[in-house]
Amino acid sequence: MNAFGLIPLILVFPAIGFLFNALVGRRFVETNRSVGEKWSGWVASLMALSAFVIALLQLFSLVANHYHAEVVTLFDWIRVGNFHVPWAFQIDTLSVTMMLVVTGVGSLIHIYAIGYMHGDKDFSRFFAYLNLFLFFMLILVTGNNYLMLFVGWEGVGLCSFLLIGFWFDRTDAKGEAMNANAARKAFVANRVGDLAMILAMCLTFWTFGSLNFEPVFESAVEMFAHGEMVEFGLFSATLGQVLTAITALFLMGAAGKSAQIPLYIWLPDAMAGPTPVSALIHAATMVTSGIYLIVRSNVLFELVRASDTFIIGSLTSPDLVAYIGAATALLAGLIAFTQFDIKKVLAYSTVSQLGFMIAAAGMGAYVAAMFHLVTHAFFKALLFLSSGSVIHGMEHGHHELHAHGHGGGGHDDHHADDHFDPQDMRTMGGLRHKMPITFAVYMIGTLALAGIFPLAGFWSKDEILAHASTNSGVSFTVVNIMLTLAAFCTAFYMGRQIKMVFFGEPRHDAAAHAHESAPLMTTPLIILAILSVLGGLLNFPFFSEAAYKAASAAHDYGINLALEHWLEHSIAAFELTAAGVIKLPKTPTWVQYNVAGISTALAVIALLAAVFGVYGSRPRTAHERDPLQSTPIWWFAILPINTLVMSGIIPLFNRLADWLGHKLDGAFWHDFFHERLIRDNFVGFAKFSADVLDQLGVDGLVNGSARVTRRFADLIRTTQTGNVSGYALGVFIGVITLVVYFFLQTN
Amino acid sequence: MEVTIEWYIALSTILFTLGALGVLLRRNAIVIFMSIELMLNSANLLLVAFARQFGDLDGQVMVFFVMTVAAAEVAVGLALIVAIFRSRRSINIDEVNTLKG
Repeated sequence: MNAFGLIPLILVFPAIGFLFNALVGRRFVETNRSVGEKWSGWVASLMALSAFVIALLQLFSLVANHYHAEVVTLFDWIRVGNFHVPWAFQIDTLSVTMMLVVTGVGSLIHIYAIGYMHGDKDFSRFFAYLNLFLFFMLILVTGNNYLMLFVGWEGVGLCSFLLIGFWFDRTDAKGEAMNANAARKAFVANRVGDLAMILAMCLTFWTFGSLNFEPVFESAVEMFAHGEMVEFGLFSATLGQVLTAITALFLMGAAGKSAQIPLYIWLPDAMAGPTPVSALIHAATMVTSGIYLIVRSNVLFELVRASDTFIIGSLTSPDLVAYIGAATALLAGLIAFTQFDIKKVLAYSTVSQLGFMIAAAGMGAYVAAMFHLVTHAFFKALLFLSSGSVIHGMEHGHHELHAHGHGGGGHDDHHADDHFDPQDMRTMGGLRHKMPITFAVYMIGTLALAGIFPLAGFWSKDEILAHASTNSGVSFTVVNIMLTLAAFCTAFYMGRQIKMVFFGEPRHDAAAHAHESAPLMTTPLIILAILSVLGGLLNFPFFSEAAYKAASAAHDYGINLALEHWLEHSIAAFELTAAGVIKLPKTPTWVQYNVAGISTALAVIALLAAVFGVYGSRPRTAHERDPLQSTPIWWFAILPINTLVMSGIIPLFNRLADWLGHKLDGAFWHDFFHERLIRDNFVGFAKFSADVLDQLGVDGLVNGSARVTRRFADLIRTTQTGNVSGYALGVFIGVITLVVYFFLQTN
Repeated sequence: MEVTIEWYIALSTILFTLGALGVLLRRNAIVIFMSIELMLNSANLLLVAFARQFGDLDGQVMVFFVMTVAAAEVAVGLALIVAIFRSRRSINIDEVNTLKG
């Protein structure tokens, strides 16, 4: 008895929700605002919940099926020669995990959005997009081949574009359509990754003759065992080289979707979208699809590791993945120091945490990557939604302040003549008394993200760090150091944020008049907060090696390592016929007290330093500089913390974060590299193509041929006199000519 | 004096030339029409003459076809001329030149 046959419904429900909201939702909302919003929002939410129920049924079916993966084929999609792609669903522990996260967190965010989007003029359009996003995201995670994955991949990219630019008519102070620009930026940055994806798929098909996961992995293992070469007509390559290329291209695709160096630039800008979108797409689900891709392709990555094929020196492509992830984690963590927009801090934090996951996947800690993916989905969605609640509260406070007919319009409606920015943390402060629920859940999210025992983030982040520290190798050591530093940064910028938002005195009248959001918004927050607290139980490690050995001997692990044992049916050591077994790098199964101790200590120090040290005494106003930019060194000397370390570290951070944030990221990477070098050259080339190549070249050719035809026609139309006897003469002369010709020829 | 084939050829040539000149030079549509008939009949005459000369009936059969087609052509042509006359009160073909380029 199983419910695998119900799997197509997981796509049908969001599709119904999308069609309902796209076709009739608008009319509902326009006819009767309050009833229509209820229908529009709740239909969308119920469809998301129904998909969640289907995902749960898949979970139970898998358990009943002894965790054996099931492939449900719906129909033949493409069959051209030996290129055969079915439209089939891959139901295994990995995809079900993703399904549960996507639909579960997605449902909560849908419900939250009913409250958040209340009053927006395009209420039903928003929910149509959200449902469409769920639809494509579920295609991405349920597909049993790379092409279906790619369909979902592109679809979520489209939805991301639509939702970032949801308020596409908004302009900033300079009159630039910043939301539309941000949407376009995200789309273009993702295209770069998508190109890599397409190339990777072509290469995969060429090498393995299939795009379905199982056959690709099976034949990869088999070819590796036999040491087969891959023929490319003119030359041939070893399997290791081909897989290195494929995995490197996958990494580039993942870098686009999961916002890694060098393509991360779009994610901070994507915060222009409504906050539920930031939570759903740009924190919890879509941006994790790169990690899903790498974890799904774990066989290919491990084969590269086993084949000793190097890109440069002794750098294998999984190492490259780990380095990119760790570098992103550290860089984005440092950049987050310099942000003042409450959502931008969280955006860079997301980039940083995605770096953790990518690094974990690159180090072969696929379970840890998925673990962090799940817990991160909980607490980052929580943080984003809470920040939405804060913004909401600030706006209401602001509206209350100017209570003269600011009716209608969305919540994030800025007024052109109004310099108040409800997302600027410098205008907040003291909100803990105004918004107690939001404050409580925000604190939980912060502590979970910072990795404080015993919240979800502690366990998942520690598993990654423990994996990095217990495996030997240069890449593991380097990544370990970078990630530990990134963990420190995480705690610091989160401490800075809660200090600026919730503590101290209100620094703006809006903050003084803010009040708590409606229960419709706070209830999902509370559920997510509970998940953020308990998330660690998903993959609870043993407390000692002895306990693990005892449980392992008794084959009874209890609640410990649930996710690891759940995922080992999708991600596992696989056997080679000739060359023995390839083992995944081992993730420790019991708590590494030294690692946990160091990271917790660092997190606590960072939180304390941020809350009581750097941002301790004076409330920051919009006109004051950030202490990181202005605090003199002696100021730290009076602190009761280790003076030497603090006076050494903080100015260093001061410089480094400022340099990274404003010079490298802002001035160089965003402004110079992307705006000047790429965008301007691109625009210049486009202008040249349009004005010169097209106008003069293509148009010249087309118009020229038309002109020549016209001239010639003008010339020969003079013979058409309309005079019948003239025509008759022509015929006569023609006949005579022919007769003479034939006469001469016959003689 | 015996009427040899040369006589027929000469007569036919004269008739055909008259017809051709008529088509080229006259302006009255009916006259042009009759000139065309003249050319057709000069050809008929030659066909019959050669049929008799070579004792072969093929030429005479061909004449019947030509006459049939000519009759059909007359029916259509005259109808056209009547239609033109009705709309323009004239059958001078120099005035019928609306189709000039």
